Amino acid sequence: MKKNENIKTNAYWATVKKNFRKNRPAVWSLRLLCFLIVFAIFGNFIANEKPLYCEIDGKSYFPVLMDYGLKSYPEFFSVNWLVDLKKPDSRFDRVILAPIPYSYSSRDKLNRNYKSPFGEQDIDLLRYRHWLGTDQLGRDTAAGMISGLKIALIIGVLAMSIAGFIGIILGSLAGYFGDTYLRISRIRFFTIILGVLLGLFYGFLSRSYALAESDFFAKEVLIGIVILIGIIVLFNWIGKLLERIPFLRKDTAVPVDLMTMRLIEIINAIPGLLLLLSIVALIKNKTILNVMMVIGLLSWTAIARFVRAELLRIRSLEYIEAARALGYSEVRIIFRHALPNALTPVLITLAFGIANAILLEAFLSFLGFGVDPSLVTWGTMLSEARGSWAAWWIMIFPGLGIFATVTIFNLIGEGLSDAIDPRLQRK
Amino acid sequence: MLQYIFRRLLIFFPTLLVISFLAFGLSQCTPGDPVEQTMPSGERGYISKEAYDRTYRQTAHQMGLDLPLFYLSLTAIAYPDTLHRIVRKEYQENLRKLISHYGNWEQISLYFAELNAADQYLAQLPDSIYLVKKVRSELSLLYLNDQDRSIQARLDSINHFLEQDTLLANLAGAQMRQLKQRYEDIKSQQTPWKLKIPTIHWHGFNNQYHYWITHFIRGDFGVSYRDKQPVYDQLKSAIPITLMINGLAIFFAYLLAIPLGVYSAKYKDQKFDRVTLVVLFMLHSLPVFWVATLLITFFSTPEYGMDWFPTFGLTDLPQSAPFMHRFWDTAYHLVLPIFSLTYGALAFLSRQMRGGLVNILGLDFIRTARAKGVSERQVIWKHGFRNALFPIITVFASVLPAAISGSVVIEVIFSIPGMGKTTVDAINAQDWPVIYTILMLASVMTIVGILLADLLYAAADPRVKFNKR
Repeated sequence: MKKNENIKTNAYWATVKKNFRKNRPAVWSLRLLCFLIVFAIFGNFIANEKPLYCEIDGKSYFPVLMDYGLKSYPEFFSVNWLVDLKKPDSRFDRVILAPIPYSYSSRDKLNRNYKSPFGEQDIDLLRYRHWLGTDQLGRDTAAGMISGLKIALIIGVLAMSIAGFIGIILGSLAGYFGDTYLRISRIRFFTIILGVLLGLFYGFLSRSYALAESDFFAKEVLIGIVILIGIIVLFNWIGKLLERIPFLRKDTAVPVDLMTMRLIEIINAIPGLLLLLSIVALIKNKTILNVMMVIGLLSWTAIARFVRAELLRIRSLEYIEAARALGYSEVRIIFRHALPNALTPVLITLAFGIANAILLEAFLSFLGFGVDPSLVTWGTMLSEARGSWAAWWIMIFPGLGIFATVTIFNLIGEGLSDAIDPRLQRK
Repeated sequence: MLQYIFRRLLIFFPTLLVISFLAFGLSQCTPGDPVEQTMPSGERGYISKEAYDRTYRQTAHQMGLDLPLFYLSLTAIAYPDTLHRIVRKEYQENLRKLISHYGNWEQISLYFAELNAADQYLAQLPDSIYLVKKVRSELSLLYLNDQDRSIQARLDSINHFLEQDTLLANLAGAQMRQLKQRYEDIKSQQTPWKLKIPTIHWHGFNNQYHYWITHFIRGDFGVSYRDKQPVYDQLKSAIPITLMINGLAIFFAYLLAIPLGVYSAKYKDQKFDRVTLVVLFMLHSLPVFWVATLLITFFSTPEYGMDWFPTFGLTDLPQSAPFMHRFWDTAYHLVLPIFSLTYGALAFLSRQMRGGLVNILGLDFIRTARAKGVSERQVIWKHGFRNALFPIITVFASVLPAAISGSVVIEVIFSIPGMGKTTVDAINAQDWPVIYTILMLASVMTIVGILLADLLYAAADPRVKFNKR
């Protein structure tokens, strides 16, 4: 039995944590993930053609900080670093190189055309050895692995935050209100629909050329969204005013749940990869941001389903009724009281979702439709490996990278879902 | 039961409708001019502008592209509801931009008519007149300009040409002055307020979407841009291949998953169960395209001394070879692809099977059966398994779309000419009609699959309440 102080702190979370700790693989995955995140953030210190530190004419420089946006390098070094570094350079008084002295994009001209990790390499010093081999252009596989890790984590996390945002909001509205609970007056139903239409018109349609020709597409979209929301709020308010007329005040139920579930059903009915491919094919410049936005917009359905199911359960609990009796607004009840208790299932789907997003990005890059090919991701490395049977190292290592990250996220998800399993709690 | 089927069908059609909207909407976002891509390519370069325009209009008419886009449209009142009649995509786009700047369609349409008249008039003039060609090329640029500065520059240079050539000035001067006047009218009589008032136009059933979807239902999927052949011809051979591969993979996955799941559940928490759990979990996390690449690299190339399987395609034998030979050769070609497709679904299915059976085996009626002295074998297969089978049937609904998606990459890696490979080739060739047809067909196949799974479930499990969702 728990003591009083434990109830004060969130007992639910405490149990989840306790159960999660029992699951060794999951705990180790979480630790490994933290390590990988740190590794990805400081990846430029590990694989970099720029020195970590160098001394020239008695002055100290930290050229590696350049990658983090800090300008700490002598101007004359904007030439290709690698060329300078391959020969012992008299310009340095002292120099400390990164453990892997190559960036993902640096091309080692002496070691082109797939140099095997075990084979002979054209290097002066052992420290310049390509421990995981090179690809056709002479790019270091180890450096590529680190770049791939970074991009995989960014894509996974950002795509899932977009998916999570949409999924949580739609799922919680659908679960909490169901088909019958959200009742608004006829007139407000009508005016809000009118507001949505007009908002779309003024926010996007009438500005379509401003949108298409602007340099800051995201900014224009944001302005459009602000206009849309503003008009909806305005019409909601007009509807409230008109509610004073008795005939218009009559209630209708808004089938939020039905609408959301239909939407989910439709999205799930389309084979996801085909939809993803046919949308990504339309995008002209495939930055990481664009690709992960598309992935995020297509993968919120699982999260929405989970949240909906949780909120369907939670909304009939007594404390929600108590909150209603206290006269709290619906928004407050959903987001302050109901949703926090539904968050663990969300975490589970997020963990699985990140694994899935990483796989999707690798898949897209593998087929050549992913991010810009000048970026090195695990997917682009694998797609290069497809044409060159002999170079097993650019096939094995990126694949292992994908496999490891995906497994880590899957194990964490698994551990979480075991941790909140009520059957486990009873033990 | 009938009522249940009816209800399912009631949901089935709106879903299809929305998916068709989505596919149609996406197909409208494609870059490039569909008419130009469909037109016989030989006629693009050397024929005269008039002949080109005529062919263009004919092709557009054949494709139904001179129709309005959809049943209704929401626009500002500044835009006329007849804009779709201007067939050339670039011209129409330019007029839209002009309207978005000035908002006065009356003046803009007069300007456009004047532009057309001037162009036609100049076309009749003999080429021998000095500078006619130059003026015409300026005019053809005017069709594409919407910014004030560039239009002004074109008009000025036309003026300049007329000053140089008195004969041309005598013949076409009045017309050019008129054109310039029309443009001045656009600028002096702006009505930007018209851009701020929304209106809904009803275009009736004679529209592009209606044209597309009715043809689609009849099996006419349009013409491929790449080889100018009907899309149907490309897909005719691809669809059965994809269906066959996925059918086989799902069949093998079920065949292996059921005994695996059952035995894991039977020996729950024992060594066999723990090992299979870990192995299946690893299999589940292995990316399909990686495994397939590894397989094809190590087992089908002489590089690593294990050249055991054929690398590409479905069969090496010609059509004339005896059927049994072709059959075995195809089967031999399919070993690696089917394996790659199967193992992912296998992991998922057998985990489901195990979970379901573990839950059932914990229930009271199983204890009763055991207490009665029913043999363990019978308890598991007759009492437990039959009840645990239903969730396995329902997950078919999620296995099928995943399999179709997964076969995309398998087909690409193993060069199997199915739907997935056709899609990827079409994307590389920017062959949009093929892409959106496949998207639609794959969705239809998935929905039908889900519907069948639902009905099967309802038929198999008497506990399904038909009246509730």
